[in-house]
Amino acid sequence: MTWSEMALVVLGALAVGLLLAWRGAYRVDRLHRKVAASRIALDAQLVRRASSAVELAASGTLDPASAVLVADAAYTASDAGPVTSPAAALKMDGLGPARERAESGLTATLREAMGGPEAVRALLEGPAGEVVTGLADAWYRATLARRFHNEAVAQARRVRRLWYVRLFWLAGRTPMPRTVELDDALPHALEPSGG
Amino acid sequence: MRVVRRRSHRALRVGLVCPYSFDAPGGVQFHVRDLAEALQAAGHEVSVLAPSSEDTELPGVVTAAGRAVPVPYNGSVARLTFGPLTATRVRRWLEGGIGGHPFDIVHLHEPMVPSLSMLALWQATEPVVATFHTSQVRSRALQVAYPLVRQSLEKIAARIAVSEDARRTLVDHLGGDAVVIPNGVYTQVFASSPRRPEWTGTPGAPTIAFLGRLDEPRKGLAVLLQAVPTILDHVPGTRFLVAGRGGGVAAEVRELLGEHASSVEFLGGVTDAEKAELLASADLYVAPQTGGESFGIVLVEAMSAGSVVVASDLGAFQRVLDDGAAGALFHNGDPAHLATTVLTLLADSARRDSYQAHAADWVQRFDWSGVTEQVLAVYDMTLAADHAIGGDVVRRVMGLFPRQVGGDP
Repeated sequence: MTWSEMALVVLGALAVGLLLAWRGAYRVDRLHRKVAASRIALDAQLVRRASSAVELAASGTLDPASAVLVADAAYTASDAGPVTSPAAALKMDGLGPARERAESGLTATLREAMGGPEAVRALLEGPAGEVVTGLADAWYRATLARRFHNEAVAQARRVRRLWYVRLFWLAGRTPMPRTVELDDALPHALEPSGG
Repeated sequence: MRVVRRRSHRALRVGLVCPYSFDAPGGVQFHVRDLAEALQAAGHEVSVLAPSSEDTELPGVVTAAGRAVPVPYNGSVARLTFGPLTATRVRRWLEGGIGGHPFDIVHLHEPMVPSLSMLALWQATEPVVATFHTSQVRSRALQVAYPLVRQSLEKIAARIAVSEDARRTLVDHLGGDAVVIPNGVYTQVFASSPRRPEWTGTPGAPTIAFLGRLDEPRKGLAVLLQAVPTILDHVPGTRFLVAGRGGGVAAEVRELLGEHASSVEFLGGVTDAEKAELLASADLYVAPQTGGESFGIVLVEAMSAGSVVVASDLGAFQRVLDDGAAGALFHNGDPAHLATTVLTLLADSARRDSYQAHAADWVQRFDWSGVTEQVLAVYDMTLAADHAIGGDVVRRVMGLFPRQVGGDP
């Protein structure tokens, strides 16, 4: 092989590498963006849900014990660090164990406090119907948002494992995205058009 | 009871893409047409892109993307549209938006079917929502093309599956997850449909309806026909009303059934109104499908119309019948069990009433009013995520340059 042939091979390899790097960078960037954005959307719905829960606790339609527990769980969830600063918004390593535990706790408490389908129906038709509707609305959207977010995380992780993405360090210093794992199952009676 | 109320959305411009031709009726086409109508009724602007030949009359919102050609795909013949000319048409439609304004959301149906939706996904720069309808078996062709589509799939912001079965297919074959939002039915249209005297059964001569293509074996007409003699032995007056296209089958069947042939009436293809009348008039609706069903929209229509459903125990049908509480199930592909189930039901009016009562309540979850709200909630979350970081920077930069066919670099 002559020098010029060698040079040609090297140039070819460089071009392929460059192309891969460019495509990889584009994909990683798009997926990181998607992860961050879907996490912000999820956070917003969880915050909405917590504030509706506080309203529900204050409405006087729950029994006092349930009201205290719901309010406590809701405050714990909102104290566990909703996204406030732009830097926090762009983090992508899940919501953190404390927040996830608190949100799961709120879910469990709400499910217990609202009782079975009959009780939920009564709540919906009662004076706090609007609040419960708002709660269900935010809750359902949070379940959607979490699915979409975890989907984005899975895709981002898959792409970041590609050899050329690792070789060219295309993900930079961004931490590996993590899925958000929490219990957000809606009570059957609050499911859209269910019950 | 409906809890997820529509919040005061601003009016959205939604682009719907249907991969199958409007020339031939089918589940996905009806779904897209009805969704477009439901979204418009909720105050949104909709444009639908679908394959269609020029002489087919289309609803006003539909843009025809050219003739669909019948091609063999995945074991059957599908009418699809593809090729460079189509790709250009898709691009023009995406660029055109509605009245010159770009779409807020592009909602693709069946993006894994090699037709319009796949092309639209490839080129879309708008936020994309995708609905998966089939419980499709993984094809080798798709595996070959998968690395090419995978990158496009990453563009989908929100995935919807129309049933638990469709979702499972998605999870198994593509990985990732989806939210389940069922197909919608205008239940009121069926509930208020008039009956036709000639299709209405009497205690001595009950009527049993079947709907579906006659020449497609998986629709299960053969299973029903094998059950016919046994049913007639016990209830001689029973009339079987078979609706659906499929040339040549009728004559064949008459020969096969011999003396029983007069009990089976072939109605041919029926219009939407006739279908509703048939389902409202018949005592029983039999769905003997042997496989390949991911949802079972006709079962919901039959329940809405008030006829009692007897269906094979496919996973999708079990779920759509609330595990047998809203209708009777028989062992898939077993004519003897179908006959027994039908005869038990014909003899037991109390049981028919209890199925009817449960079904009337159960079908509400499939009504378009609720389904549309769920779809809008998905749009809402998609847009929230898109707006959260000011949309796609790449898209804004790309906006300075003409969109390339191919979308991705």
